[in-house]
Amino acid sequence: MSSDPTPETPETTEDGSLLQKPVDRRGALGLLLGGVATGVAAASACSPLSAATPEERELKRLEWEEFTQKHYRRMTEAERAETIARLERLAKLRHNEEATIATTDAQPGVLFGYAFNISKCKGYRRCVEACINENNLDRRSDTQYIRIFEMENGVVDLSDADPTYQHEVPAEGHFYLGTQCFQCADPPCVPVCPVGATWQEPDGIVVVDYNWCVGCRACMAACPYWARRFNWDEPEVPAEEVNPNQHYLGNRDRHKGCVEKCTFCIHRTRQGRLPACVEACPTGARVFGNLLDPNSEIRWILAHKPVFRLKEELATEPRFWYFAD
Amino acid sequence: MKSIRVSAAACLAIAFLASGCERRHVRWYELPPGTIEVPVDSATAARNAIREPGVLGTVETIPVVGWAGPDGQPFEVARRSAALEGGHARVFGTITLPVSLRAGAADLSQYPCTACHQGRKLVMEDQRIKDAHQNIHVVHPKQTGAHCATCHSADDVQQLALRSGEHSTLDESYRLCAQCHFEKVEAWAAGAHGKRLDGWQGRRVVMACPDCHDPHAPGLQPRVPFRAPQLERTKGLHP
Repeated sequence: MSSDPTPETPETTEDGSLLQKPVDRRGALGLLLGGVATGVAAASACSPLSAATPEERELKRLEWEEFTQKHYRRMTEAERAETIARLERLAKLRHNEEATIATTDAQPGVLFGYAFNISKCKGYRRCVEACINENNLDRRSDTQYIRIFEMENGVVDLSDADPTYQHEVPAEGHFYLGTQCFQCADPPCVPVCPVGATWQEPDGIVVVDYNWCVGCRACMAACPYWARRFNWDEPEVPAEEVNPNQHYLGNRDRHKGCVEKCTFCIHRTRQGRLPACVEACPTGARVFGNLLDPNSEIRWILAHKPVFRLKEELATEPRFWYFAD
Repeated sequence: MKSIRVSAAACLAIAFLASGCERRHVRWYELPPGTIEVPVDSATAARNAIREPGVLGTVETIPVVGWAGPDGQPFEVARRSAALEGGHARVFGTITLPVSLRAGAADLSQYPCTACHQGRKLVMEDQRIKDAHQNIHVVHPKQTGAHCATCHSADDVQQLALRSGEHSTLDESYRLCAQCHFEKVEAWAAGAHGKRLDGWQGRRVVMACPDCHDPHAPGLQPRVPFRAPQLERTKGLHP
């Protein structure tokens, strides 16, 4: 932090002008666009910007800074801190959220893996409920990362399976299989991104920089598991239901036009906690751990249980195994 | 065996007469007011809280001790065949994963047992036992005729009786379950069965067998699931 290359952002003037701000190459575009916006606003609206409340002026300024934000992986530490402070303030201004956005990096020597016990899952969908609440998923479109398929015994064919069952579970003669992002070792969604807004972290989690995403949805087309979700509209979460424990690459505020996905609850798992779906599962059908730790539960399962993965022939190498016992 | 049962029943009857004869309106298994209470302290409340997803709180644990192994590690699952009555335990598997157990006996609604069972003795096939434990419908283990003393110690009602003659606390019930379900207990100790608490990192804390399975009726009841997804899916194109 001491070698901060970016000077402190000064207070804006009373009319919201940004001209007091020291300019670098990146900021110049923002200023230019900001100036245009100010001009347009002043020309089109009868009331000039100076008539707006201080909060509205601050929001406008921060939104323009957000618009010209760098790619997450190219930010210096100081720029990250500045971005986080801005996003937290924006969450407060936009949705009255008291969010804390972490930028915790991957732990060294950790590669996350997941195992799903198809003989224990009873289809309660408690994982889905926990995921929605934990990851601040859009309530209006009812976005869900996890789907639980009701499968007939003896068949592992998801094209005939029913993810929309709504009756008492478990149903006779059926088993349940859940899908979500498998955090593939060779993720087809990553190289297709034209702007590099999605990538794989060292601990195996495939993440999205929502601010860098242009919403082309190529990653969604590339994913053979339908793991990604698109925000067709501005996502809505009631303020009292927002989970304030957030991560930049995870459950922070998304906006209309960006792609999002399961991150194995990056804000929890990088702190040594379990993903919300694992914690919520009442049957213990979900197992999560470090693949590089030979004493982990997941390694024991891989060594002792019959395991399979979905669409293995595509060689995407999912780090998500199904097992039965 | 019969004489033991009779004497234990007599014991309990005396205790009943001594404590309840002058208070006829109180049924015998109802506690005299103000004498014995099972306090719900903050530690118990915290343990109860971990049943709610997202509120793990502090987990009180006891180390899992393999009864065939020294002081807990490695954890060993022993198989005792019924044919080898009192015979040697055969070690079925050895698991080197360190594990702690969620201590949950104090959460039981009628715990401690000695609150009613003053004599600490278990009385079998007594109508009063059935009256006091109406919430218990014994369907397991079917093979043994579901006798209380199949699992509960007749000498100490708060202990479980193992086939080896040893006793086990209610918290260490896995020792009892492992006598038949040794493969399940092996998978449980290794993390493939049952539910892990706390995080994936650090100490492994697991829920014990009775946290999910009612020992007297271990099957899980059907439930209504959380709501179905609203998004339409193009059938055949997606997994």
